[in-house]
Amino acid sequence: MRQKTKKPLKVTYELFNRVGSGDFEYIYRGMFTQNLTRKILSLAESSLQRFVDKGSLQNRIYFIMVEGLQNVTRHQEDAGDMSNDHAGIFAIQKTGDRYLITTGNTIVNSKVESLKERLEKVNNLDRDELKKLHREILSTGELSEKGGAGLGLIEMARRSGNRLSFDFEYIDLYWSYFYLQTEIPSRSYENSAVEELEESKSMRDIKNLNRMLSKRDILLNFNGNFNQNNILSLLSIIKGQMSVSRAAKKVYYIMVEMLQNISKHGSNYQETSEGNSGIFYLGQTDEEFILTSGNYIANKDVKGLEERLEIINALDNNELNEYFNKILLDQNVIDPKKTGLGFVDMRLKCNRKVAYDFKKVNDEYSFFTLQTSIQTK
Amino acid sequence: MSIHFSLYRQVYKQNKLILMEPLIIKATEDTPEIRFDPEQEIFEISNVSLPENAIEFYAPILDWLKRYKSNPNPKTVFNFDLEYLNTASSKQVFELVFLIDKINENSDVTVRWHYDAIDEDMYSLGVRFTHLVKVKFELVEYEKGDMDDEDDDF
Repeated sequence: MRQKTKKPLKVTYELFNRVGSGDFEYIYRGMFTQNLTRKILSLAESSLQRFVDKGSLQNRIYFIMVEGLQNVTRHQEDAGDMSNDHAGIFAIQKTGDRYLITTGNTIVNSKVESLKERLEKVNNLDRDELKKLHREILSTGELSEKGGAGLGLIEMARRSGNRLSFDFEYIDLYWSYFYLQTEIPSRSYENSAVEELEESKSMRDIKNLNRMLSKRDILLNFNGNFNQNNILSLLSIIKGQMSVSRAAKKVYYIMVEMLQNISKHGSNYQETSEGNSGIFYLGQTDEEFILTSGNYIANKDVKGLEERLEIINALDNNELNEYFNKILLDQNVIDPKKTGLGFVDMRLKCNRKVAYDFKKVNDEYSFFTLQTSIQTK
Repeated sequence: MSIHFSLYRQVYKQNKLILMEPLIIKATEDTPEIRFDPEQEIFEISNVSLPENAIEFYAPILDWLKRYKSNPNPKTVFNFDLEYLNTASSKQVFELVFLIDKINENSDVTVRWHYDAIDEDMYSLGVRFTHLVKVKFELVEYEKGDMDDEDDDF
């Protein structure tokens, strides 16, 4: 008697699994504004710091991240439209000893050609030529009309020591979607044909993911490691993104529970990283906000969790309130963890049942998806 | 400082009891600010409470209150002015309220539970607590709106 295991739940694992299976990945999709950039960056930074030692490599990655984020922010602010159609995307992935930083944003069709030309120009120059061009632009002060994006591209190419991959996707008469991917090898500057092939695959994956998220009216999506630090960044992103309202307040409360659930109860599938890998996304329709989380859990824990969810979903409002009070008053319950209090609270706040799904991934782990929603009005 | 408090303090001194040290904990991004200061007659918990480990955070606060319980001021007003709290914190905050309920036996205690007008869940939690304890419990609504824009400039 699983509650409402609708199709959208099944898709969570697909979204989560969409992008390769590198050493780590971090994908943020949503709004980019000056105020949010710092938080988005700090989300990325915390993953980065655990994988890359301090030093020139970390500096290079950091530089390219900042440059990429600022590009997306500038373009999004230009678009002047903060709707889902113009959501930007930012991703870092590591596969083997290569780091891939991908950004995506909408761009006015009329600017596509000149940007393409600039990118091709940068790509056709070798390191010395890039350096020369860089110096020339600095000394003549000749900047592109896009607030120095030309210089930014040159710097990105120089610091990565690689070609910039890019793609434009036509959206409608007015807009295209622009993807830019920079590869940073951790050891040498050498390219090989094989690597280039993989690179385009990663680009394709991110494009697919972006399209899927766009179709589902997702306001914010985060794939990555969930730890308290990242959770606080995500929360402040959402706080900056939503206007103050009754529903926004509830979204925040429920997000806290969902994100901390992943960080506290999820299984550390990859063992290598701090925090548990998972996915969280927030969608919006005319009537409601839909919150979905997904994370690994050990197969041996599935039964207990499923039972708790079933019991709690079967309770009516009075019973939920009684349950809540009972746990508050129970002096034997020091830690309400695993009492189901979080789910009870979620049900009361959302005034609906929670939906969930378990998908067995292998002999040890399952993927647990949890979904609830909040009425906009 | 009120007159009765000065007297009270003198009594304390005569009995060679030491007035309790205030408990001041600065707010962090995920833990609240605590200001429990018997001398100033301030008992306040504010900001947000979203720690991963709520038990650990609240343990010293509960300890302090237990000690305060044995020698409370004649009158104590606790202000709960929280913007957000996670479920794990709500259990711990209830532990505080439960203990405050006991302090009420030795002191004239009032709890003021502040909540944002748009925050029906903070209101509900306050209402829930009123049903579970006997202490005077006031629900205080405020309208905050958009005022707390943080200095999040890049």
